Amino acid sequence: MARMKFLCDADRCIECNACVTACKNEHEVPWGINRRRVVTINDGLPGERSVSMACMHCTDAPCAAVCPVDCFYTTDDAVVLHSKDTCIGCGYCFYACPFGAPQYPKVGNFGTRGKMDKCTYCAGGPEADMTEAEYVKYGSNRLAEGKLPLCAEMCSTKSLLAGDGDIIAEIYKERVVTRGYGSGAWGWRTAYGEAVTV
Amino acid sequence: MLVKRRSKDATRSGLAAFAQNVAAKPVDRRSFLRTSGLAVGGLAAFGAVGATTVRRAEAGQTDFSQPVEVKTNICTHCSVGCTVKAEVQNGVWVGQEPAWDSPINRGTHCAKGASVRELVHGDRRLKYPMKKENGEWVRISWDQAIDEIGDKMLDIREKNGADSAYLLGSAKFSNEGAYLFRKFAAFWGTNNVDHQARICHSTTVAGVANTWGYGAMTNSYNDIRNSKTIIFMGSNAAEAHPVSLQHILTGKETNRANVIVIDPRFTRTAAHATDYIRMRPGTDIAIIWGIMWHIFENDWQDQEYIDQRVWGMDQIREAVKAYPPEVVERISGISGPELRRVAETFATQGPATFIWCMGGTQHTVGTANVRTYCNLLLATGNVGADGTGANIFRGHCNVQGATDFGLDIGSLPCYYGLSEGGWRHWSRVWDVPYEYLQARFDEVPAKGGRDARDRKANMQMAGIPSTRWFDAATLDAEDVDQRDNIKAMIVFGHGGNTVPRMGDSLKGMNALDLLVVADPHPTTFAALHDRPDNTYLLPISTQFECDGSRTASNRSVQWGEKVVEPIFESDNDYAVIYRLSQKLGFADEMFKPYDMVQGKFSMEPTAESILREINRGGWSTGYTGQSPERIKAHMANQDKFDLVTLRAPADAEDVGGDFYGLPWPCWGTPEFGHPGTHILYNPNVAVKDGGGGFRPRFGLDREGETLLAEGSYPPGSEIEDGYPQFTYGILQSLGWDADLTADELATIQRIGNNDPEAMASVSWSLDLSGGIQRVAIEHGCVPFGNGKARAVAWNLPDPIPVHREPIYSPRPDLVAEYPTREDGRQFRVPNIGHSIQASAVDRNLADSFPIVLTSGRLVEYEGGGEETRSNPWLAELQQDMFVEINPTDAAARGITDGGWVWVNGPENDSKARVKALVTERVASGVAFMPFHFAGWFQGEDQRGNYPEGTDPIVLGESVNTVTSYGYDPVTGMHEGKVTLCQISAA
Amino acid sequence: MNMKTLAQRLAAVVGVVTMLGFVSINFAPSAQAQQINPTAQSVTEDSLFEALQGDQMVEGRVSIPDGLSSGLIKPGNASWASTHSGLVRNLSIAAVVGAIVVLALFYMIRGKIMVDGKLSGIRILRFTAIERFAHWLMAGSFIILAITGLNLVVGRTLILPWLGEGAFSTLTVWGKVAHNYVGWAFMLGLILSFLVWVSHNIPNKVDAEWVAQGGGLLKKGVHPPAKKFNAGQKVIFWATTLGGAALSFTGFMMLFPMLAGTQADWQFYQLIHGIVAGGLSFIIIAHIYIGSIGMEGAFDAMGSGEVDLNWAKEHHSLWVEEVQGKADPASSASKGTQPAE
Repeated sequence: MARMKFLCDADRCIECNACVTACKNEHEVPWGINRRRVVTINDGLPGERSVSMACMHCTDAPCAAVCPVDCFYTTDDAVVLHSKDTCIGCGYCFYACPFGAPQYPKVGNFGTRGKMDKCTYCAGGPEADMTEAEYVKYGSNRLAEGKLPLCAEMCSTKSLLAGDGDIIAEIYKERVVTRGYGSGAWGWRTAYGEAVTV
Repeated sequence: MLVKRRSKDATRSGLAAFAQNVAAKPVDRRSFLRTSGLAVGGLAAFGAVGATTVRRAEAGQTDFSQPVEVKTNICTHCSVGCTVKAEVQNGVWVGQEPAWDSPINRGTHCAKGASVRELVHGDRRLKYPMKKENGEWVRISWDQAIDEIGDKMLDIREKNGADSAYLLGSAKFSNEGAYLFRKFAAFWGTNNVDHQARICHSTTVAGVANTWGYGAMTNSYNDIRNSKTIIFMGSNAAEAHPVSLQHILTGKETNRANVIVIDPRFTRTAAHATDYIRMRPGTDIAIIWGIMWHIFENDWQDQEYIDQRVWGMDQIREAVKAYPPEVVERISGISGPELRRVAETFATQGPATFIWCMGGTQHTVGTANVRTYCNLLLATGNVGADGTGANIFRGHCNVQGATDFGLDIGSLPCYYGLSEGGWRHWSRVWDVPYEYLQARFDEVPAKGGRDARDRKANMQMAGIPSTRWFDAATLDAEDVDQRDNIKAMIVFGHGGNTVPRMGDSLKGMNALDLLVVADPHPTTFAALHDRPDNTYLLPISTQFECDGSRTASNRSVQWGEKVVEPIFESDNDYAVIYRLSQKLGFADEMFKPYDMVQGKFSMEPTAESILREINRGGWSTGYTGQSPERIKAHMANQDKFDLVTLRAPADAEDVGGDFYGLPWPCWGTPEFGHPGTHILYNPNVAVKDGGGGFRPRFGLDREGETLLAEGSYPPGSEIEDGYPQFTYGILQSLGWDADLTADELATIQRIGNNDPEAMASVSWSLDLSGGIQRVAIEHGCVPFGNGKARAVAWNLPDPIPVHREPIYSPRPDLVAEYPTREDGRQFRVPNIGHSIQASAVDRNLADSFPIVLTSGRLVEYEGGGEETRSNPWLAELQQDMFVEINPTDAAARGITDGGWVWVNGPENDSKARVKALVTERVASGVAFMPFHFAGWFQGEDQRGNYPEGTDPIVLGESVNTVTSYGYDPVTGMHEGKVTLCQISAA
Repeated sequence: MNMKTLAQRLAAVVGVVTMLGFVSINFAPSAQAQQINPTAQSVTEDSLFEALQGDQMVEGRVSIPDGLSSGLIKPGNASWASTHSGLVRNLSIAAVVGAIVVLALFYMIRGKIMVDGKLSGIRILRFTAIERFAHWLMAGSFIILAITGLNLVVGRTLILPWLGEGAFSTLTVWGKVAHNYVGWAFMLGLILSFLVWVSHNIPNKVDAEWVAQGGGLLKKGVHPPAKKFNAGQKVIFWATTLGGAALSFTGFMMLFPMLAGTQADWQFYQLIHGIVAGGLSFIIIAHIYIGSIGMEGAFDAMGSGEVDLNWAKEHHSLWVEEVQGKADPASSASKGTQPAE
């Protein structure tokens, strides 16, 4: 079985935010919920780099470890999903996530955040594939249609890669060899406990 | 593939459901939409989002039981020309999929392209025609709108003249829409017709066309994959043309290419450069001459290329001696060694390409800047080959096409001039008598010490640029060189906040007798002013709601298929232009060549029939081979085209041997089957394969030297040297006239009235049969001739460009040495830049306004921004207008990152209240503001001025509230990149 | 911005040395570096982590107004998650299970502590209605808080498999609501009990003697003197007061994350909350034991408020003297049967 991962080649990312709006478009993600975002390090300085970040679908995901109701699950493709029916909106996963992935409809007091929402790797949720119930809660299920996440598919410079971890690591390594230097597979060490070395 | 986990608990007890409601509301997507706007967005203005976004949510999900139709269109934002694949169900656009086959974008998009689906759900779109009555917006019918607008236009025509109606068109038009609008202006009888090219690349078109023939990008985005050295100067492609970076970054990786960014600002593009060089805004000429100083000093120029293909380079060589390193450093702030490095890299590590955008063009010296860039390319032999070229990234999705079709005060479609010959050519194509068109124009009385003009002279006189319309509305009538002031603005798809001096523009709007805004969104033209009446809004659909072709920056023509019917009561450009012409009384003549079909509310011409008319007349630019059928075949066979060469294999069905989108010039008739021209002026391939030389359009010789190419010609050419443009006479003298068919000859005879002398002068660009082009190409020759590029453009101000300080210069000490050009009159209005510059120096303005203010694009927004700021997926990403200020300057002023500041401009006490973005992107002494914002004016929120429900989600101050005077003498381009300001904490 | 890592705070405050090994270095971007090729020398994740070390987050600029989204990678969050799901969960389980085991052993060895003398039948008022109200308000709310709180930490391990996902989620939602609102009752009880009892809980010399004799708990017939509260009770008072205050403060911050400061601050409060709750639970379980099945006559003090005179003399001799010195014991005593505490 494939082990799905994201890899953002920071040498290619130009902070065009296509990944962000593609996600909004594909899943009708409402205002205020950012399943994906682009962060620019060293803004305005030589060495500036932008990195597109969303849920990395970690190995041994910290969100799943802290969830009081154990609403997270990992699919056979190693995609970390959650059940909004089970979620109690406590916010623990938000504090556990190293990548700022969990989002809530509101940041209220008394723990009234509403159901957590995050990147699904375009793989929907626990409901039956490609049903209205699934779409309404989690957005579309491209994986079930045999497609990859739209953010990566639409990335303007093909910086954001999605797919089987071994394959995208290979693509990245080829680029590193071609251009003569790497940009770091951002988040891999934290998410998957490994770095891509060339 | 996926394993679904526990699906138990699907049904929940009443108690459980209640519990969920108490604690953490089960948030489905729709209640997200209903509740999240205000709570999370924190935008008071977002209140009305509720009901309408729910509709969108319903539209957004794909019901897999319904058939999905896939429509192919082109992104309506920048000029890269990304293909958009739209999934449509039951007439609703439900999803966007990557267009993998497009050789231009290969499935990808930027933020804008990835969110275009929202445009046709358009909560904030203008929903029906409206007008202002006693200061209130009221809904009216299309019939009433057309009637009232028509009556008022006819009234103004009667009282003030045809020239008093200004027809401002759009780079968002399709090619057919742009062409129709230009034709509409001709039938109305004015040359006051313009569009966004004025404010983006008019100086490029003028500068480039005056150097080597055509005003367009010479190569393509894809071809940059071949480059070894790439200079970006005044171009932030990473934000303005994001998908182009796919090709550039790949090229950079595979060729280990040098990417050099010369810019006042450390842009997102600079972050990916191998060399970034910071410059003082407005010093391009000194920098380029400085680079060329090193090139000539070290003999790095391509002498063979110069000898064969360039005229006047020796004069440039002399001229750049005035720009040694120390002088250049004093002007631009760039040290000698830095420039030497750039010079050596660019000259010796080819192929090299030079990319520029608004940072180079929007200056009082814009045209001169462009000509220095061209000179750098010519001196190093970097035009007309793979991986080289003047890669001019244009701004809007069809600004190239709209330019080509003459939405321009100085030309007719396809760059035919306003001369009698040009008018006669188009009157033949349009099948109306030349005299009919002439009679439509005003007679201009003698005034202001100037001579009177008859209709013919007025017909041949360039109109008023869009940057100056408000001056033409408010100046004393004596100072405006036409019958009367501008009294009516008919604005199709053009923002009002993209031109400097908005305070003056506001006065202009208030002075008008009629203001018509035809646009999917109410623009600044609808909201900035406080006009009580005589103001109309017409809801126009986007290009996703109609058929038509558009020309990308690389001259590829792509067909956009109607995705959905126009939403709400909006209608397309063709129908609205038709109805207006009907009302104004010339529809029968103007529309007789077209196939008319029933549209949404009225009859309308088909886009295909308009394009066929273009094919019948666009000889000068090679817009004749791109028939609707061929372009549609290209869209259907995108996968056949090579990623780098853009060419389909010879054996590919329908598109065999073609370059993608038949980039113009695509010579001859569609049946002739020319493949289009991927790379302009390329003598390395045969003309029938898209080769050519420079266009000799400036005479045959100058100062005793030939202006024709020497020893350079495309393979297969039967004339192995330079030659002038082809005419019937030249065919005769070569004995090639016998190759013409009887029909072709008959057409030439008709154009020449059977008069042998007149027939001899019928040229490749006037021959409606295409015979002259066909015969020339079959003999391996370029129809327009094979000439030299001009390093020196003797017909322009500053034939050899010299550095000139901006009007508002931070360096008064340099103004004395490098002043702007003398005051003068251009385009029917005065240009008093010199007086203003002198006065600014006299008043020591730079002391109280010590910061240079420049402007530019953000990736999320486009143009005036109404459309993109109304799209919540984009608007969320940039919620506040801001000014970038260096940490040193901020600290000195007590300004914190994210805090409110006032930016004060140098004219009319102008000011803008914006947020500070404290960043090293800009140097100390330089500030940057994006130009997409509007809806606030000098601290006042004007949300109430928009018709209810059509106000963009995000509003903000316009940078052009604080920008100032300054116009290029050649094109009327404004100075949008350099002014002075002061910034203080608010 | 406070650059201390979560781990350092923990180490400093509760001495969890196992978390050490993280070092904080303020990250300063190397802006001044002379650039020949900004691309090849651009910042990489590894170099940033090297510069940052430990749990420091990699932070940049975002255009959206959500300030929290500017953190690109926050390894500290994963540290918190592992601390929460490891240390805190284990401590919580250890506290509850440990308390029960210790008390069971104690009961087996010592048995129920009986009143040595016979019950006098004379009852004296030990706790007024206000005192009892304060106690039970606090006690009742604490039990609810402890159970619902514990559920958040260990429920998914202990209860979820039994109830199933949906029912457990419903239960936990209600538990969360209860925890969030009952907390206020606890705080009120805490304040009241502090006010009414603080003057009796100042440690003094008598306490040393009491402690020296093991509180008389270990050996039959040993009854060290004590005032209203003996040293053991004082420990409970102060543990409850300080622990309760810590729980109240940290709980308040968790309820109002906007006031809590950074994410790291919130995480810090959350861990303190969990650890203190575990510790306090241990103490309170012992307290419940000795106040109910562990000692004859103890419950009455908080039940009816009146205790048997002989019980009082054995456990709070000095207090009895004090009370009787003030008033005739007969008048302050009434009929009743059982001692307390």
